[in-house]
Amino acid sequence: MNVLEVREVSKSFGSKKVLGGVSFSVPENCVFGFIGRNGAGKTTTMRAVLGLLETDGGEIDVCGQRVSYGNTPTNGCIGYLPDVPEFYGYMNAREYLALCGRITGMDSGDVRKRSSELLELVGLDKENHRIKGYSRGMKQRLGIAQALINRPKLLILDEPTSALDPVGRKEILDIISAAKEQTSVIFSTHILSDVERICSRVAFLEGGRTAFEGGIDEIRAMKGDTALELSLARSSDTDRVKAAFPAAELIDGKLVFPKASDRDCSELMAFLAAQNIPITRLERHESDLEDIFMEVIGK
Amino acid sequence: MNTEIREYLPLLIPLVIVQFSLLGYSLFHIFRHKSYKHGNRAIWLVVVLVGMNFIGPILYFIFGREEE
Amino acid sequence: MKGFIAFFEKEVRELVRTKRLLILLAVFVIVGIMDPAVAKLTPKLFELMADDLSEQGIVLGEVKVTALDSWTQFVKNMPMALIVLLIMFGGIYTSEYTKGTLIPLLTKGLSRSSVVLSKLAAMLLTWSAGLWLCYGITYFYSDWYWDNSAVNRLGFACFCWWLFGVLMICCIVFFSSFSGSGAQVLLGCGAVYFAMTMAGMYSKAKEYLPTRLCDSVPLYKGELVPSDYTAAAVITAAISAVLVLAALPLTHRRQV
Repeated sequence: MNVLEVREVSKSFGSKKVLGGVSFSVPENCVFGFIGRNGAGKTTTMRAVLGLLETDGGEIDVCGQRVSYGNTPTNGCIGYLPDVPEFYGYMNAREYLALCGRITGMDSGDVRKRSSELLELVGLDKENHRIKGYSRGMKQRLGIAQALINRPKLLILDEPTSALDPVGRKEILDIISAAKEQTSVIFSTHILSDVERICSRVAFLEGGRTAFEGGIDEIRAMKGDTALELSLARSSDTDRVKAAFPAAELIDGKLVFPKASDRDCSELMAFLAAQNIPITRLERHESDLEDIFMEVIGK
Repeated sequence: MNTEIREYLPLLIPLVIVQFSLLGYSLFHIFRHKSYKHGNRAIWLVVVLVGMNFIGPILYFIFGREEE
Repeated sequence: MKGFIAFFEKEVRELVRTKRLLILLAVFVIVGIMDPAVAKLTPKLFELMADDLSEQGIVLGEVKVTALDSWTQFVKNMPMALIVLLIMFGGIYTSEYTKGTLIPLLTKGLSRSSVVLSKLAAMLLTWSAGLWLCYGITYFYSDWYWDNSAVNRLGFACFCWWLFGVLMICCIVFFSSFSGSGAQVLLGCGAVYFAMTMAGMYSKAKEYLPTRLCDSVPLYKGELVPSDYTAAAVITAAISAVLVLAALPLTHRRQV
């Protein structure tokens, strides 16, 4: 069964169409990467899934239950980390988690046990200060802890790593990896290396539509292609090389040979040596998620 | 005159205690914080000290203190 | 219900930790002491001014202060304490909506009605505690210096004030369900008060308006009896209930 199903969801703010038919589904025990540029509609989609936003059309099911605007019962099985989480500055982390736990209806013994577990998971267990003195990264970690408190079936993280330094990012990704044992995770991001690191399934969002949805293996299968990038020392040599290799294209001052095999590579090197053409750089470039992303969104 | 003052003491003593603790706390708060919702430290010090005994501190807590 | 209790406790903790409760109670204590103090000092002030006034040809007789003067001050000073309370609570809802602190809790299944009602409960608790504290202090001093038995219906008059404060607090609840900031909420409350005062100019309506509840002096003097306030009290309670009941669906639809 899919934990989350989004079908043809649309939303306009005034005359501005933000979502124009977003569809994707998240299976159980999966880390789902929700990728898109800033302003592509990621946060809007997530808010719609949480019933914080009234959609104009389409359906959203969480754990088999329809999401409705306002007080939606489906929120009981979701944990959510907003893009900029805001907490009550006058509480400490433990008190905040206790408040969250009690709201979800956990009994006080369970809340205490679960809070300790989660604070350890996110590395805030030795922190007794009030939240008002927390750094951005600490707030983000507390945000993940509060999202996990009621053992949700679906964890929704909105840009959990975007505002963090590389160390903070790695910590958050490790926490997400640890959390996926217990729950499905959907997280939005525009940092593709994060997706490659931990996701098993992805959707690309572009212009308010899902431009691609599939497993990470499907993406790996799409890769395959390697390209060669050649920078010449003298730009006057460009035409000679292009004449010998018609497939080459001049992009940003570099000669790019798409779909180049190992054989093409040796031929090129032999040609350069024979013609005595000095180069500054020759690079084999494996296409990555970014290229596929660019291809999908048509750039 | 002496007996007259004594007659006022039951009113004056608690009033002075409450007002001065309010004044003391607002001064403490102003010095412990660098930024305020409106205005700056100098303005709030003047308001709290000059603003008729308890009105100054109340104004500070309503308009000057930053939310946590 | 669980959400309501948990969130109510959070509200009380917030009032205590942000020192808001302490400051408000201090205001009520000060006002409670000021009432008898001003009454007590009035003859002294007149004495000081007497010379100036007699030069202008005004002759003051002996001023006799009674408990009634102290309670008249109570009626005069209470609006100020209520206004401070309303200003302190004006942004209690809107600041949470705009800052986004509610989002993690709402997405955990906290109902919006619980948010509305538990904040209302915290405000009512503060108002009740403050008002009756102020009442108790004024009562104590008035009895100490003079004699409260000369003044009628003290408890009922204070209850009327309480009810009026409840109405103003319910105005905060109502305006917060669609306003963007605490200032807008207070503007709404001010508009309601202004409308009531304007309507009070029309003498036939006076008896039925919530503002009637603040008019305690005739009650103290025995010119009016509690039953003369029944209509205004019932209407005030009804308006308060309607405001809260209207705020619930409005908050439900509100974008947070």
